[in-house]
Amino acid sequence: MDYDALVRDFLDDADCHLNVLDSALISLEQNGHDPEVVRQTLGALHTLKGNSGMMGYESFKNYIHLTEELLKKISDGDADRQLPELINILGDGANIIRNALQGIGKDNSSNPDLSENLRSLRRYIDGAEYSAVKPAVDPDAYLGVRTDTIKVDFTRLDALLDLVGELVIFKTRLGQLEGRIQAELFSKPLAKELNESLELMGKTVSGLQEGIMRARMLPVSHVFNRFPKMVRDIAASHGKEIRLVFEGEDTELDKTVIDELGEPLIHIIRNAIDHGIEAPGERRAKGKDGTGTLTLSAVQESNYVIIRVKDDGRGINLERVREIGISRGLISDEDPLDSQGASSLIFAAGFTTKREVDDISGRGIGLDVVHKKISQLNGRVTADSSPDRGTTFTIKLPLSLAIIPALMAEAGGEVYAIPMSAVDENIRADENDIHMINNREVISFREKVMPVIRLDEFFGLGRAQRKGCYMVIIGKADKKLAVAVDRLRGQQEIVIKPLDDTFGKPRGIAGASILGNGRIVLILDVMSFWSNEAADFTTPGLKRKQPGAVSPRPETGT
Amino acid sequence: MTEISLPPSGLAEDILVNFTEQPAELHLVTFSLGEEYGVPIRQVREIVRVGGLTIIPNSPAYIEGVINLRGRVLPVMNLRRRLRLPEKDISKASRIIVTEIGAKVIGLLVDAVSHVVRVPSGAVEDAPEEVLEVDTDYITGVGKLNNRLIIMLDLERLLKREQLETGESGDGPQQIPSSIFERR
Repeated sequence: MDYDALVRDFLDDADCHLNVLDSALISLEQNGHDPEVVRQTLGALHTLKGNSGMMGYESFKNYIHLTEELLKKISDGDADRQLPELINILGDGANIIRNALQGIGKDNSSNPDLSENLRSLRRYIDGAEYSAVKPAVDPDAYLGVRTDTIKVDFTRLDALLDLVGELVIFKTRLGQLEGRIQAELFSKPLAKELNESLELMGKTVSGLQEGIMRARMLPVSHVFNRFPKMVRDIAASHGKEIRLVFEGEDTELDKTVIDELGEPLIHIIRNAIDHGIEAPGERRAKGKDGTGTLTLSAVQESNYVIIRVKDDGRGINLERVREIGISRGLISDEDPLDSQGASSLIFAAGFTTKREVDDISGRGIGLDVVHKKISQLNGRVTADSSPDRGTTFTIKLPLSLAIIPALMAEAGGEVYAIPMSAVDENIRADENDIHMINNREVISFREKVMPVIRLDEFFGLGRAQRKGCYMVIIGKADKKLAVAVDRLRGQQEIVIKPLDDTFGKPRGIAGASILGNGRIVLILDVMSFWSNEAADFTTPGLKRKQPGAVSPRPETGT
Repeated sequence: MTEISLPPSGLAEDILVNFTEQPAELHLVTFSLGEEYGVPIRQVREIVRVGGLTIIPNSPAYIEGVINLRGRVLPVMNLRRRLRLPEKDISKASRIIVTEIGAKVIGLLVDAVSHVVRVPSGAVEDAPEEVLEVDTDYITGVGKLNNRLIIMLDLERLLKREQLETGESGDGPQQIPSSIFERR
């Protein structure tokens, strides 16, 4: 953010706080002392003081501080000073603040000098008579700063987005109608005109949609800024030295995503500090800088934002992950484990329990929670690690939760929407490609063996008689699943509508969307496919040299 | 002040009846599920034809699916199935009664919608105890109108039971280990 914008933000904000002081003084004058009013005003002044300090307005900050002290005299009930007198002096104080702010507004490189006012106020607080020239106020100053920002209740933006969502649906519907009209009125000028107006409307609708989405966005710094203090404190308590670096923190995301992002990030960051980054001595012994570096970065890539948490610590301890995986029954002891398999394992539900928290030397605390949360946001999280070089967690999130791109797929005569964020790729397959391992259907693709979920069976729609089908490869971290569907119907933007939960949450369904023709399609909850798998097919993501040679294991399922 | 005149019976309860909240008439929308049923008209938003149902897999059997009600995804309950009545195919006469129950809007699939009727509250009797089972407290009474019997449903109770039943079952074996990080 450039300096001008910073000053503007400061002034905007200061104006609000000054208004609080103004109205408080009026209220105190009319209604007498009210602890609640004083408390709120003290809060506003405190924030203003903090902001001024951050902006480097030292003298201004000190003046606010004295104003606070003076205000406290009201709540403390200073016997020597009458309320009207205090209110008068505070009123002068408000004007002095107002003038100072106006000064900054006129010349944003200026730094108000209030030393004289400071001295007289100090003397008054210490018990002397108040002797200061009443500040002259330029009437314009009462108007405050002309601001470029307004505060809007988020529910209003939500309502607007809903309307835009409807509009997108109607647009698609009109487009389909137009296709039919075109077919019937082939090459008639009327049809051409319709086509042109529809195209124009389409552009406007897209513009509107983008505009609303932008209005709902906040920079990721909103979340990032919560971490420096936390990192400092945790590092100190663990005797570690850590430098926290931000990159691309002005990348923007929908507020609803931002709101949910803090929790998973905290887990990952705590993990990095607890288990990733070594103590200074250990680091130096390895020839590394004693101070570890933790980098939080954000970057936008088309319709997604990629957030990375990167540390230069010891990396994931493969052996330890393997041991835990085996002891948890997540993998068998014949399974080889590469770093990719390990990083998928740490996200598995049941990989960690409280018992391991203290003695685990790798990482993996609550990472299944991270994974769950990110998936709820229609995003994906992966980990990448190399010994003593560090670990990078990569979170891929859609820009918005409300309108997402989805792959439309048909199964059992119904159409379902699969969020594109989950889709790796899709392939044509036939029955010969599907093999049985341990009574489970699997498919081998790109040297990976992955379980097959037939969507029609999963949903109890009965199995269609067909020769060929499509496999939509969906990825959870590094684990993959192949979802068998009858037909693919292309990609489109869908508006997510929640399903009523009165009757429980149907397994496999995340929500619904309304298509241009008015039909409702259900959106798949890709996450739930794995919880189904976890019980009886535990190592789908791991590479096997000979898929056929795996010895059957007793069913661990329920 | 209302003037109280002594009722011809001279009985105290006949006077007291004037002071209870009970309205003199119940305004019902009645519909057919073989027998005639009724729900309070204030809970009925509108009545729509059946069409464009999308089935919801893995949902309770009595959920017929969802429909698009002017941009809203409306769940539709098959009331026959919910009340464990014999199945009947959707026909031309079938309707969806869009009801508003508390904050919920839910569609009820019925064989046909008959009338809007007014039943004097005096003509409502408790359902005979012998026909009620433990979980049928949503039948609040039987209204008698001319020669008809109207079974009156309390949708709030019907739905409350729903939430209890689905709430208990949970959704599968997935268990998330508790995290060591307290939520702040």
